[in-house]
Amino acid sequence: MGDDLLLDSSIRFWVVLPIVFVTFLVGIIRHHVAILLHADKKIDLQQVVDSQALIRSRMLRENGKYLPKQAFLMRKHYFNDEESGFFKKQKRKAAPAKNPMTDPSMMTDMMKGNMTNVLPMIIIGGWINWAFSGFVATKVPFPLTLRFKPMLQRGIDLASLDASWVSSASWYFLNVFGLRSVYTLVLGADNEADPSRALQEQMTGAAMTMPQDPNKAFKAEWESLEITSHSYALESVEDELLTQTPYIEDFCVKEKYQ
Amino acid sequence: MKESEAREILREYRESGIRRSDEVVEIGEPLLSSLESRGWGNEVWLIYEQLYIAALDCNRMDVVGECIGVLSRRFPGSTRVKKLDGQYLEATGDYEAAMDVYDEILEAEPADTFCRKRIVAIHLANNRIGDAIRELNEYLKQFQSDHEAWMELSALYIREYEYGKAAFCMEELILSNPHHHLYHQRYAEIKYTQGGIENTEVARKHFANAVKLNAGNMRALYGLYLASTGLAGSSKVSAKSKKDNSKYATWAAKKIAEMYAEVGSRAQPVESVTAMLESLQVNSL
Repeated sequence: MGDDLLLDSSIRFWVVLPIVFVTFLVGIIRHHVAILLHADKKIDLQQVVDSQALIRSRMLRENGKYLPKQAFLMRKHYFNDEESGFFKKQKRKAAPAKNPMTDPSMMTDMMKGNMTNVLPMIIIGGWINWAFSGFVATKVPFPLTLRFKPMLQRGIDLASLDASWVSSASWYFLNVFGLRSVYTLVLGADNEADPSRALQEQMTGAAMTMPQDPNKAFKAEWESLEITSHSYALESVEDELLTQTPYIEDFCVKEKYQ
Repeated sequence: MKESEAREILREYRESGIRRSDEVVEIGEPLLSSLESRGWGNEVWLIYEQLYIAALDCNRMDVVGECIGVLSRRFPGSTRVKKLDGQYLEATGDYEAAMDVYDEILEAEPADTFCRKRIVAIHLANNRIGDAIRELNEYLKQFQSDHEAWMELSALYIREYEYGKAAFCMEELILSNPHHHLYHQRYAEIKYTQGGIENTEVARKHFANAVKLNAGNMRALYGLYLASTGLAGSSKVSAKSKKDNSKYATWAAKKIAEMYAEVGSRAQPVESVTAMLESLQVNSL
């Protein structure tokens, strides 16, 4: 029963293609609306200063062993000293943690993101369920288990129908995520019509900008720097260099230096 | 040259930061008249900006005037266009006005790195090295990981013979990229110039590291030879150290001779190089 369903070819013209069109156009509209609503992000100098200091401290931790011991200790002192160290001094300038609920700028950013991405999805999802329900739209080319039936076959109550036959709503969702690469072609990379990118950004957003509490970051960095010791990588570099070559037997100590 | 070719070349130069200004002006000028009508989209403004800076380099003020006219009409009140204005003022030598423009931009956008660097450049153009160093220091206090700036500061300190501070800047660069042989070599050269047993030992280590990272670095090889010879010949080092140093010196001399031999007969005959090396002496350390 599952393999041999013959669908009315007008489904192709009146359901499948319109959904593709509509999704695509809505995506383009979303992109332009997002650009219109996009407010310039003001770079906070203090944040930049802090993040640069953290980067420098990280470099010191990772690569300090290539410097002479004195140089390493000098810098460690600059960052970690009890009274005058950078990470200690900055403590006094504590910024209150930016709670997303109370900080107005973040609120508006979140609202805008939600508006542009979620709202169209809801609207179009609703329209499709109203206009295109009750029939099978297409078949996915791979077999699916029965678990997928309630999800993909909304509105179709045939218990014995293969799960590969899906309704128009699932075709719509397929389109939303599938047209991502088409958007990249049409709009260039870094376009705003990409809902999955927005989801990704929400998850990694905290990591990219300064963490909301610079004090915590400073404390963590201070600790890591404290425990870093200086094991001079260049201690025996000359000997390493000499033994790399096969000319060991040619060493001869000149008379005049003895 | 076809327009699509020109566009490709300009884009390539933009993205990789290549600064072949005369070529850019040559390719870009014929496009100027009809740039907007070609339908290239927003790339047009980038091309105008690129052409503007290239024309400033080549002193083509006519091209400059056209570009800035278009850009300021399209983006009135834009900070980016204002920066271009500042550069124009610098190019014509009106440093006071340029300084004012940059200060204005900095008041509005304190996190802007470009303007600060331009201010340093203005000081340098007026040969006010002390001011340039001071500005650069202020800049680096805030933007601690800007390696380009550390490089520049190191060069400025060398000009002022402040080798200790120059060495500090080079250390920052080594921290940023510890496997770059040129950083080690430069650092070693600064340390060697400072003189003294300890500094020469550090210099020797870094010369050796530079050679280890890049066996073809002739300067580092010579540096290694000089540092080891100097230490070996000094009266203030232990006997073991003398032996080690002469071992390194011999190895370095041998390597240098080999490199010259590889290059072939067109270079100086190998014998004269070895003779010269043997007669090198550091009088006091």
